[in-house]
Amino acid sequence: MYKYWEISKTYMKTQLVWRADVIFNMVFTVTKILFAYLLWGMVFKDRDMAGMFSFNGMLSYYIASSFLSQLEMSGGISAEIYDRIRNGTFSKYMVIPAGIERYFLAMEFGIVLFYIPFDFIAAIIWIFIFRVNFTFTMDLQVIVCAAVIAFLGLLFMAQLNYLLGIMALKFPGIQTFLMIKDNLAMLITGGIVPLALFPESVINILKILPFYYVTYLPAMLFSGFCREEAVSGIFIILFWCIVVQAVINVLWKKYVKKYQGAGI
Amino acid sequence: MDESIIKINNLVKKYRRFKKKEGIRGSLASLWKRKYEERIAINHIDLSVNEGEFTGLIGPNGAGKTTLIKMMTGIIAPSGGSIEVMGYYPNDLKNSFKKQYAVVMGQKSQLFFELTVNDTLRLFKEIYEMPVKEYQESRDYFINLFGVKDIMDVQVRALSLGERMKMELLAALLHNPRILFLDEPTIGLDAVASKQIRGFLKEVNKQRGTTIILVSHYMEDIKSLCQRTVVINNGIKVFDGKTDGLFAKYQKNKKLHVTFQNPPGDINFKTKLISVYEESPYKKVYEVAKQDVKALLTEITEYGLKDIIIEEEETGTIVERIYKEGGVNCV
Repeated sequence: MYKYWEISKTYMKTQLVWRADVIFNMVFTVTKILFAYLLWGMVFKDRDMAGMFSFNGMLSYYIASSFLSQLEMSGGISAEIYDRIRNGTFSKYMVIPAGIERYFLAMEFGIVLFYIPFDFIAAIIWIFIFRVNFTFTMDLQVIVCAAVIAFLGLLFMAQLNYLLGIMALKFPGIQTFLMIKDNLAMLITGGIVPLALFPESVINILKILPFYYVTYLPAMLFSGFCREEAVSGIFIILFWCIVVQAVINVLWKKYVKKYQGAGI
Repeated sequence: MDESIIKINNLVKKYRRFKKKEGIRGSLASLWKRKYEERIAINHIDLSVNEGEFTGLIGPNGAGKTTLIKMMTGIIAPSGGSIEVMGYYPNDLKNSFKKQYAVVMGQKSQLFFELTVNDTLRLFKEIYEMPVKEYQESRDYFINLFGVKDIMDVQVRALSLGERMKMELLAALLHNPRILFLDEPTIGLDAVASKQIRGFLKEVNKQRGTTIILVSHYMEDIKSLCQRTVVINNGIKVFDGKTDGLFAKYQKNKKLHVTFQNPPGDINFKTKLISVYEESPYKKVYEVAKQDVKALLTEITEYGLKDIIIEEEETGTIVERIYKEGGVNCV
């Protein structure tokens, strides 16, 4: 296992090289919440509640959700795999004695670990600057469940992006699909608007799918909503992690034989 | 007893490649109906390599050399035949297999460009699960051998091409692999850097007994390093034998690039010329049989010689000749 920790550390080091990226990531977190502050400020101008949210509840959700969605950086996994398969340099990962999927998970873990403190600082600064009456659950069981769901949600997204990346072994022309996927994922994980504002029938469908549990449910749980879904959420996202892993195992065995290594 | 570390029998690799007609119409048509052609990159090749051998793999562009290396390292799967490297089927990509070899491809880097070589080596130490003592000894050995102590903490992207190639080799050799696969390690390097790399490889093969498979277009690499050479053309093995024998038999001519102090005018050499490639007032390029080089040089010196370069025949010419004369010479 130590080799994977070293991979994580190596990618943490690569993040430190580009200082502007670190700064802009923080700035982006703040501007995203600022945008939400302005938008929802207008919505709540003439009303006290929108769906189940008060203005403070909505901002609390946005801060928790932004924090989690900033950590969801696994789109880089599919982009890296896709690029390397297309230009013939994926062999870099095939010739070293480390599991390729684990390598990418460790890479993602290292990058996320690096950004956690920065995103945390950004969220805290925001709470203080805009004097948000941040609502945060004090129920320990809910906090633990939310943390586990958030972890499994990030794992699921990393697995999904790995799966989509290796799909390039069979379908090398999926770049546009990957772009659409990133935008779609932003919407259905509740990164743009809380899923609670969607019609109930849509929410019921989303509850069966894994994306509901990636950032939306943990953010809601941290903000003191949806307490009754805390335990079931763990099992549903765990189920999806197992399913996607099984698909990865089958497709990898099938598609690795198709790799030609053609390119540069 | 069979000492082969690499055993290849009847190996075949076929692949499809996309084809389209030129222009917008061709592109639109290909969007609707895609055309592919099947190509045979490796055509029923047999090969065995013994532990400790230094084998050269040569052939013109598109001959199948890199494809063969990719199959031996497990990067791509064969379409037919059998392949066994150190007792493993390479495309299973088992970690226990990958721990025992290293591959350096001239245009595909294993280094992290944003970091220093020391950072990459630390990662490789863990990936190859090297004990601390073994890591330190190996690292120190190669740093001294390559003379790169001063640039170990420099960001890789800031290194020159020659320095980067030394570092690629260092990272590849760190875990003391049983087999080292090299695909064009001297490509783009100047004469001094190429010579240094050749020196390192010779040392590693001799001192550590590392089996080396070298793909190169440079005759100098092959001549000075490989006891054995395998020539591939169109996916077929056309020669497999001692390197000395290959060059003695098939490298028949040399090119002389001659620059004169003054225009010599028309010269009627007694030595028989194979052909004349360039004839400007000061500079001429002659092709002459290998055994006639000395005689031609003697004649040329009478005309006020300023500079001369003697060039070996290209791989493509040698391969063509082997192909014309036919037959696979076995070791």
